[in-house]
Amino acid sequence: MPKKKIKLTIDGKKITALTGQTILKVAQKNGIKIPTLCYHEDLKPEGRCGVCGVEVNGKIKTSCNNLIQAGMIIKTNSKKVQEYRKTNVQLVGSNFAREEAFKKWLKLENLPDIQELRFKPKEKEKIDCSACDISIDFSKCVLCGRCIQKCRDTQSVNAICFAQRANAMKVGTYFDKKIINTTCVGCGQCALVCPTGAIKERDYINEVEKALADKKKHVIIQTAPSLRVALGEEFNLPAGTLVTGQMINALRKLGFDKIFDTNFGADLTIMEEANELIYRIKSSSSQKNNKEMPMFTSCCPGWVNFLETFYPEMRKHLSACKSPQQMFGAIVKTYYAQKFKINPQNIIVVSAMPCTAKKYEARRKEMNSSGYQDVDYALTTREIARLIKKKNIDFKKLKNEEFDLPLGQASGGGAIFGASGGVMESAIRTAHYILTGKEFTKGLDRSGEKNIEYTAVRGIQGIKKATIKIGTLKLNLAVVQGLANARKILAEIKNKKAKYHFVEVMACPGGCIGGGGQPQPTTMEIVKKRASAIYQQDRILKFRQAHNNPQIQQLYQEFLKKPLSKKSHKLLHTTYKDKSKRV
Amino acid sequence: MQILVKNNFQTWKKIKNLSSQKIIEKIKQSGLNGRGGANFPVGKKWKFSYPVKYLICNADESEPGTFKDHFVLKHCPELVIEGINIGIKALKVETAYIYLREEYKKLKPEFESIIKKHSPYNIKVIIGAGAYICGEETGQINSLEGLRAESRHKPPYPAEKGLFDKKTCVNNIETFARIPLIWQKGFNPKLLLFSISGDVEKPGVYEIEVGTKLAKLLNLAQAKNPKAIFLGASGGCFPADPNFILNHEYIKNKGGLLGAGGLIVLNQTRDIVDTCRSIIQFFTDENCGKCTPCREGNFRLLQLFQVILSRKWTKEEFEWIKKLIQFIPQGSQCALGQSSTLHLSTALKYFKNDFLAKIE
Repeated sequence: MPKKKIKLTIDGKKITALTGQTILKVAQKNGIKIPTLCYHEDLKPEGRCGVCGVEVNGKIKTSCNNLIQAGMIIKTNSKKVQEYRKTNVQLVGSNFAREEAFKKWLKLENLPDIQELRFKPKEKEKIDCSACDISIDFSKCVLCGRCIQKCRDTQSVNAICFAQRANAMKVGTYFDKKIINTTCVGCGQCALVCPTGAIKERDYINEVEKALADKKKHVIIQTAPSLRVALGEEFNLPAGTLVTGQMINALRKLGFDKIFDTNFGADLTIMEEANELIYRIKSSSSQKNNKEMPMFTSCCPGWVNFLETFYPEMRKHLSACKSPQQMFGAIVKTYYAQKFKINPQNIIVVSAMPCTAKKYEARRKEMNSSGYQDVDYALTTREIARLIKKKNIDFKKLKNEEFDLPLGQASGGGAIFGASGGVMESAIRTAHYILTGKEFTKGLDRSGEKNIEYTAVRGIQGIKKATIKIGTLKLNLAVVQGLANARKILAEIKNKKAKYHFVEVMACPGGCIGGGGQPQPTTMEIVKKRASAIYQQDRILKFRQAHNNPQIQQLYQEFLKKPLSKKSHKLLHTTYKDKSKRV
Repeated sequence: MQILVKNNFQTWKKIKNLSSQKIIEKIKQSGLNGRGGANFPVGKKWKFSYPVKYLICNADESEPGTFKDHFVLKHCPELVIEGINIGIKALKVETAYIYLREEYKKLKPEFESIIKKHSPYNIKVIIGAGAYICGEETGQINSLEGLRAESRHKPPYPAEKGLFDKKTCVNNIETFARIPLIWQKGFNPKLLLFSISGDVEKPGVYEIEVGTKLAKLLNLAQAKNPKAIFLGASGGCFPADPNFILNHEYIKNKGGLLGAGGLIVLNQTRDIVDTCRSIIQFFTDENCGKCTPCREGNFRLLQLFQVILSRKWTKEEFEWIKKLIQFIPQGSQCALGQSSTLHLSTALKYFKNDFLAKIE
């Protein structure tokens, strides 16, 4: 239907707006705040909670899913609305098991404080913490359905669904299985949108605090590229603020012995992965064997779990390289331990990640080729923020500090791993150099400098496709975010509708910056701001390609010799399982 | 009963070569209204729906005290299939579904043999899984798609975006059974099937004209000392006044809904408040769970009504009951949620003293 301009009244204000918009959207655009609970910017409104009810021509209607019509007279704060809202909040509030969460929500939505709730919370099932990545506490659930929409629509995983009906209704799993026995890939998108904390990351704060207190342990933390562009939001800084220096300072104050950079691990991943890609392309063309092409990235554990669970027959396409987190851990427990003469048994590697699936990845049995588990604990951005808050550190007032060496220096190629398309772009930069001996450029930019940014793979579109010529090679690339989109690309590959060489998949919309462990709220608007901070960081770094990172060069000289060497195969590469039987 | 007329598919044979417009126009002129409860003119609905991809025959009768659909299914399945044939022809339908209530599944083979014999079209009989919400058209569409039975937000209406997001028309089973009768002599659009149960000597299904006084129906069913009637669970509670008129507008003005013609008679020995409690129990167990006001509201109402099993209400508790009765319909999205407290609001209006007696 063609959109047309119509007139309506909200709270006495005469407004002209285009048809096809919801009442809530129009009100928000005109600076009128309507409290909500189940509504989320990026999700289709379902009108479950009823909190956003407003008076439309004398009748209460939910504003999130009712469209505007010409001549509507809308009141968002009349006596009728206030009364309705109060009763609704009291009913919803009786489902918040934690009073502080309820109070926080009331404050967030500008709702009047309700002292007395009248009704006792229902008795519900106990917490399901069978999995090592996410846990579900049924008693805190208000049945807003956001998590289910994410799991079903964005991720096409369908590990959680509404079970039962009416009063017995709950967010459950099929056949009432424990979450560990479902198709759950651990991406944590459900936790990212949960308004009450009913679904959240499995918390490893206590274990980390115990390790920090242990004098015998050498506790190292590595921080992911997406953390430094999002952690500030937990301390009321605007989205997209780069807080690398303050983050390092805060982590030092928490007592970590060394603060290193996962971007270093990312640089290492690129060295291995770019070489693997070239190796695969060359061997497949010489033997006329296309079986293991295209190559898929393996940095995202949610994606790896997804492929192992739903498409186990395609797992050979996954790059054998470990993710940056795991490569980093393996290097710490070997190279670093030898170099600084520390017994690897006493090293605890903690990683600060925007991700819940990293918790699972850290615990994978294959990830111990050094004889020790590569990474001991993976914490999410939210857990790091909680640790900082617990210590009463005034984050905003902290001075900037620098990463420790040698594993704290990284290139721009590692930094952009956080955004969707980053792994691809970084791999292109390095592959170009390996194949041609020259740096990748796209001509000169406005200031006359060499422009090395490959923007075709950037942005928040679900699927991005590009073709690039490197030397004599013509590579077809695809960059995917969100697992529902991944299914589309996988179908293309299976049906031989398209021929790709290299496919990057990130389970979360926007890539790691929109990861399941990031601060709340995370919306696509916020993700865009975080992405621009990531790319800004790439621009100011001295080295912008993984292979130019001097610490990486030194690591290869002193320890690994060359990419895809025997040692790197042992330490930095891994294998994948068929997990379809698990469910 | 008009609906029990002997049927040889004579209407279908007569009109199967007519154009859609002619059929729909005839239905429009007949004055036939839908029998699912909303009383919407069938001809009008078909005219604005035309053409649709899917036609659904709603045979998921689940309103307490309503069993006239079962009667239709059992005694005149041929008429239903004939009506569906006409619907498919008139609306240019690709596939028609009969959504049969799980409890009626034993009727499925008979249906299928009639379809095989008398219908040139693709008509499928689908067995529901027993949720009350599947009787609501959008909930039923969800269920047919294999999704969780939850009501959908309207708009878009099924006529724009229904089953599998395609244009869909949903009609009640009695409506379909009435359609072939339009072309027969002496068709009376005002005749309606009523299901009567409760404190009566002769419970059952009666066919009477809309606008008849309650006294006639009570006489037919031989009610003794009637005190009140419940119009199904969600239609409201009224005194058994002999002059009460069984007509949609009249009942609407009184604050209730005639709905699908279910009538439960209560005699003088019955406790209105306690009957309301069991109806609340029904809604607490049977709502789909989607909207907080309906799900939580009915549950809290039940908690408040369970109090009277052991003691009287406090003033504050009674205030909350009144508050919830007003609140629940406001925030619910579907017709079932919106009418889930009608029995209470009408009972409170006409039997106020019964309630006041339960307060401290």
